[in-house]
Amino acid sequence: MATAVIMPRQGQSVESCIITSWSKKPGDAVKVGDVLFSYETDKSSFDEVSTVEGTLLAVFKEEGEDVPCLENVCVIGNPGEDISAFAGAASPAAEEKPAEEAPKAEAPAATEVAAPVSTAVDGAQMKISPRAKALADKTFADLLKAVPTGPDGRIIERDVQLLLDKSLTVSPAAYASYNTAVEGTGIGGMVTLSDLERKVEEVAAPVAAPAEPEADFEDVKLPNIRKVIAKSMHASLSNSAQLTLNSSFDATKLMAYRAQVKANAEKMGLANITLNDIVLYAVSRTILDFKEMNAHYLDDKMRYFNNVHLGIAVDTDRGLLVPTLKYANKMSLNEISVNAKSIIKEAQGGTINPDKLQGASFTITNLGSLGVESFTPVINPPQTGILGVCGLTTKVKEVGGEIKAYQAMGLSLTFDHRALDGAPAAKFLKALCNNLENFDLLLAK
Amino acid sequence: MPKSQFIDPKELRKAGKVEFIPVDVNVYNKTTAEEKKLFTTDDFLRIYRDMAIIREFETMLNDIKTKSAYNGVEYNNPGPAHLSIGQEATAVGEAYCLDTDDYIFGSHRSHGEILAKGLSAIHKLSETELYDTMKEFLDGSILKVVEGKEEVKGDTKDLAIDFLLYGALAEVFARTTGFNKGLGGSMHAFFIPFGIFPNNAIVGGSATISTGAALYKKSNKKSGIVVCNIGDGSLGRGPVWEAMNFAAMDQIRELWPDSKDGGLPILFNVNNNFYGMGGQTYGETMAYHFPARMGVGVTPSQMHAERVDGYNPLAVIDAYKRKKELLLEGKGPALLDVVTYRISGHSPSDSSTYRTPEEIEAWKNEDVIEAFGAKLVKGKIATKAQLEEIRESIKNRMTKIIKLAIDDSVSPRMDLDANPDLISSIMFSNQKIEKLDDREPEVLMPYEENSRVKAIKNKARFAFDENGKPYSKLKTYNIRDGLFEAIMHSFYTDPTTIAYGEDNRDWGGAFAVYRGMTEALPYDRFFNSPISEGAIVGSAVGYAMAGGRAIVELMYADFIGCAGDEIFNQMAKWQSMSAGILKMPVVLRVSVGSKYGAQHSQDWTALTAHIPGLKVVFPSTPYDSKGLMNAALSGTDPVIFFESQRIYDKGEEFHQGGVPEEYYEIPFGEPDVKRVGSDITILTIGAVLYRALDAAKTLQEKYGISAEVIDSRSIVPFNYEKVIESVKKTGKIVIVGDACERGSIMRDMASNITEMCFDYLDGPPVVLGSRNWITPAFELEASYFPQADWIIDAISEKILPIPGHVSTHNFSDIEKIDRSKKGV
Repeated sequence: MATAVIMPRQGQSVESCIITSWSKKPGDAVKVGDVLFSYETDKSSFDEVSTVEGTLLAVFKEEGEDVPCLENVCVIGNPGEDISAFAGAASPAAEEKPAEEAPKAEAPAATEVAAPVSTAVDGAQMKISPRAKALADKTFADLLKAVPTGPDGRIIERDVQLLLDKSLTVSPAAYASYNTAVEGTGIGGMVTLSDLERKVEEVAAPVAAPAEPEADFEDVKLPNIRKVIAKSMHASLSNSAQLTLNSSFDATKLMAYRAQVKANAEKMGLANITLNDIVLYAVSRTILDFKEMNAHYLDDKMRYFNNVHLGIAVDTDRGLLVPTLKYANKMSLNEISVNAKSIIKEAQGGTINPDKLQGASFTITNLGSLGVESFTPVINPPQTGILGVCGLTTKVKEVGGEIKAYQAMGLSLTFDHRALDGAPAAKFLKALCNNLENFDLLLAK
Repeated sequence: MPKSQFIDPKELRKAGKVEFIPVDVNVYNKTTAEEKKLFTTDDFLRIYRDMAIIREFETMLNDIKTKSAYNGVEYNNPGPAHLSIGQEATAVGEAYCLDTDDYIFGSHRSHGEILAKGLSAIHKLSETELYDTMKEFLDGSILKVVEGKEEVKGDTKDLAIDFLLYGALAEVFARTTGFNKGLGGSMHAFFIPFGIFPNNAIVGGSATISTGAALYKKSNKKSGIVVCNIGDGSLGRGPVWEAMNFAAMDQIRELWPDSKDGGLPILFNVNNNFYGMGGQTYGETMAYHFPARMGVGVTPSQMHAERVDGYNPLAVIDAYKRKKELLLEGKGPALLDVVTYRISGHSPSDSSTYRTPEEIEAWKNEDVIEAFGAKLVKGKIATKAQLEEIRESIKNRMTKIIKLAIDDSVSPRMDLDANPDLISSIMFSNQKIEKLDDREPEVLMPYEENSRVKAIKNKARFAFDENGKPYSKLKTYNIRDGLFEAIMHSFYTDPTTIAYGEDNRDWGGAFAVYRGMTEALPYDRFFNSPISEGAIVGSAVGYAMAGGRAIVELMYADFIGCAGDEIFNQMAKWQSMSAGILKMPVVLRVSVGSKYGAQHSQDWTALTAHIPGLKVVFPSTPYDSKGLMNAALSGTDPVIFFESQRIYDKGEEFHQGGVPEEYYEIPFGEPDVKRVGSDITILTIGAVLYRALDAAKTLQEKYGISAEVIDSRSIVPFNYEKVIESVKKTGKIVIVGDACERGSIMRDMASNITEMCFDYLDGPPVVLGSRNWITPAFELEASYFPQADWIIDAISEKILPIPGHVSTHNFSDIEKIDRSKKGV
């Protein structure tokens, strides 16, 4: 009797495999152990070897075909055998499966409530009752933290109420981002069916296969903000010509200055001025001499700014946010310190006004506190550059024939080669290093 | 059932014969000389003129339908026109003998009858009576058109003929100046001041209705007779048979007061034109050969049935004189088999595929008007020229009338764009009239002396004593008592109130609501009807049209099907089809059963609610039952009053102070919050209220969920405001009732609530009805009717998952799709 060869299920989450090549063709004799065909999942590739001996009577799936697991791929037997029963049919095992799963589907909904699995749902995928939505709209409850306990994973009123009880709310701006997942193109901005379809294509995220209980990973859907970051970062890299220059400067004087400020902060009524504040100050006083760095590259034109608006990259619970310190060039160091702290706090608390997230002419990002020695920051287009501030490292240099250790701070400047060339960028970096190294002189200017 | 009658086996088992007397067939044979003694020249000429007017009216309609022009006047009439050309003598002969207090009812082919009856009334009424009638009718709007700008003419009778023809034609052409503002149309036109009652587009539909009008005359001792004009084709319909038997039932003769001789004063006039549309009743679709034979079988008097030559107006008049006399003597009902022939088609689209040209030609050769004219000339009663002049003047008059009727400036149609609520405003009459007549109601004893009234005095009017302990069933004032008090109030207030149905008297109604009424009320106000649901409801409709108030009962709601036409087409529609001229104070009691299986347990609220024109209520407490029944019985609209056999003995658990002894009404349409809650709303229809309250109790005690329970009480009309208010509060709603879920009124409510409360909803409104099955045996009913635990399961599965609750019923979408796929 003929034997069907099925597409094996390589792991519980695999739904189908692609046949990459056939090693046998119909009519070929097949021995046990012969490779019949090769196939692959999205993770790896396999050879299917024959477990029976005979003739390859028929092949049901072609090379390149995406074959659902457990479906018949070919049949081996004796020439002349009737194989019509095998064509296109799933194996008996495949048919049994749903029956095994059925009882699971009927498990009472109540048990699901006890241990909700998924929490994070973004605006586009979020199932939420009109009433719960209305309540959240009114209170800015942080729906991303909602644990849906309604039927079918729907967020219902009590779930939003729970957020409010825990004071889990967000800024109106951040809340608004939940709702902008689908941009409406219909009348009055209404979301049309085609918008939704477009969205589906954009997201192109197939619904994750339900994880087996014993799976050692967790599929968590992307929050919307992460998708926005992903999209803009990727766009930045793919649409510009970025490269990074690394340099460092002797931070000895700067540290001394900071220590001095710190010691007298209370007395003088100064803010807690950080190294980052000092870098912000130095950039604001240096960059105007390098107008290509304090600019926007707008494809057919450059926009040079007469003032310095510094974007400050801030790591928040929700992901990366970049509040802007406007007119930094007009602020004293103390003012920069106070204002920067204020917007950073707002960003972290999720209460920042969305206007403050826009309009930067140059951005500074600081991974120094995390011990990073150099990195390649990604430009926030259409800005032409971004300065990465790195940690302090001990370096040595020869001073008057002597080898002397000193604290060096690294700077990584990424610039868009479309907007300017390497030399002017390097000159800016050098000037910045000079100014930081001689910060007391800079202050005097 | 009356104990006064003895069903004697000795007598009833004796051998013998049922004897029939031979039926007269076309026995009229008077000579012209004899006739001249009975009729004046004026009479002869009037008979000729009336037939000619009908002929011209229908010829005009036929020309308009087939050629879109009449005598040079062009018009297109898309509406129906079922003509009776050839049958004029039957209509004129019938009307000749009738007075304005004699009522006629008709069929879809009744232009001739209404014109003949109208012409007869014009002849018989005084000029003042006529003018006042025309002036009062619809505020003189029709009179104004036919009177034009002229002063009152000298000849009011001539003006009245214009009025009659114009009112009828404007009605046919759907003009607001028609007799029924154009809402009745060709098949429904009527004019009560002339004794012309509605015609009916349902074949035989008038049979039960005219029986009800005759019942009104009998029970309220009103003068006059009722003529039911039906066709030979209608004798194939059950309700026609039901009506004849109902009109003739023994009790009227044997048990009713002052009525020793017969039944109701009604004449079933069978216009026997041998075709029911195209089906030939003689030789093809019927078995009787003589429609008169149908009457012969109904009563020992054989309904005085005979065949009359309907092609001779004088033969018809002769028969009518004799039959009317019998009816006025109380020897009704009677039946006439009037031989006639419709030369015109059933309708203008009729190509006469079912009859030969020779047959039509043969009847044309006997044409009633030609033959009668020839007879007048031959008998030297009139000259040919005189007759021609009559016909010429009729043609001129008809031309004038059609010009008026199609002139939009004087005969406008309803402007539903400018006044979109015009029809809405006449769907119900919404009046409150406690007494439809001024005389003292006839009763057999003072109210207080009634045994049931006395018994109720000893009952607790609230279900619980001061300690919250329920009284014993026997001591508790229940829903039965509430209905009883309301109905008795109407009997003792409105002299026209009448109640009947199966097993109402003696038995006290199958569910004992009427216990104690037998001793209080005479037979002609309260009686057992035959098992004829069509006749029960249809006669109530006619009783109301004639001016009375009827409470009729169908025992089980399932029997609504047996009275389908009478409920859905008659009871529901006549107020609006009459443009508000008719009132329909009919209360139809139906009881939703349980324990009695698939044909005795259905809640058919959705069926009745679907039909525009019916008010539908379903109370489930004694307080609501009494209040709503009082409202129903003081109103003027048709009410389907649903009751539930599960809860007839429920005491009043909600209304503080219990059910008031005095009269009060509960307005239709207002749902009632029976339990206040904050987390979820449960809206109930009917007896399921108590199961919902059980569920609410469990939700509170076991899960800390506070349910608000709202009893819909009414279904049509229904005020959503209270429900919306509740849903705004809770965001969640379950709608529960005992009707099968598919197509139920709960579904309708759920859809409306979704629309109106969408932004407030925390989950979809969930509907819980019975399964889409037959009702199984009582022992299995918990799997069929919604139960308290279903409600909790549905809440947990569909709206608000309840931690710790394990559902035992499957309300998943998959299950729903599967059931729907299977149609169950």
